[in-house]
Amino acid sequence: MGCSHPGPAPTSVGRPAPLSSRVGNPRGAITTKGRIATLSREYEAVYIFDAGLEDTAIAEKLEKHHALLGTTAPITLDHWGRRQLAYKIGSKETGYYVVARFHAEAGVLPEFERALKLDDGVIRYLVSVHEHELGAPPMTEEQLAARRARDADDDEDEE
Amino acid sequence: MRRSRKVCPVTEAGIRFIDYKDERFLSRFITDTGKVLPSRLSGVDARHQRQLAKAIKKARYLALLPYTRSQSAQ
Repeated sequence: MGCSHPGPAPTSVGRPAPLSSRVGNPRGAITTKGRIATLSREYEAVYIFDAGLEDTAIAEKLEKHHALLGTTAPITLDHWGRRQLAYKIGSKETGYYVVARFHAEAGVLPEFERALKLDDGVIRYLVSVHEHELGAPPMTEEQLAARRARDADDDEDEE
Repeated sequence: MRRSRKVCPVTEAGIRFIDYKDERFLSRFITDTGKVLPSRLSGVDARHQRQLAKAIKKARYLALLPYTRSQSAQ
């Protein structure tokens, strides 16, 4: 979202488009009539529920909150179950962890997060863009061996 | 005598993405008191050190890792 984006040709005034028209638009293109292009991304949410809740109550809460996302695509759920927290949150020492992965549009997230914040059964939550396989591909065994050999040679030269 | 150069443990382990939910892996890169281990001690390269720091901070927020741990608790 910087000035380096290949935006549209500058107008005669030469003023860049207002930021509000570029929010949520990866290419920085300006949408017409002030509308922002819809953008669906894969998100990952981790919820820590109150460990005192029944499993059925947790499932109901998940269903209720996920209905706010308005997605028809299936939501991947990973129940970690009850775990000890690394530190006390309020008076709670254990929590029920659930990891959910879903596709949603950015516009529905504020309402979704607001509902989570107001839910007393949710001790804590974190919604983030599902990032995976970032960075360079892993080195193969041969590459690692070659690198070690090269490093060893360098060290011998310097001694 | 010059010490031999360390190989980044993240690269060596062939990890493509540092997952903030993997607290067992992340706990290798924090001290006994819970601080992020400096790369000069762990040998992690700069790119992975940045990714690790972010992952550790997310894991702390989710109570997977402690923000701090007193020495007496060990």
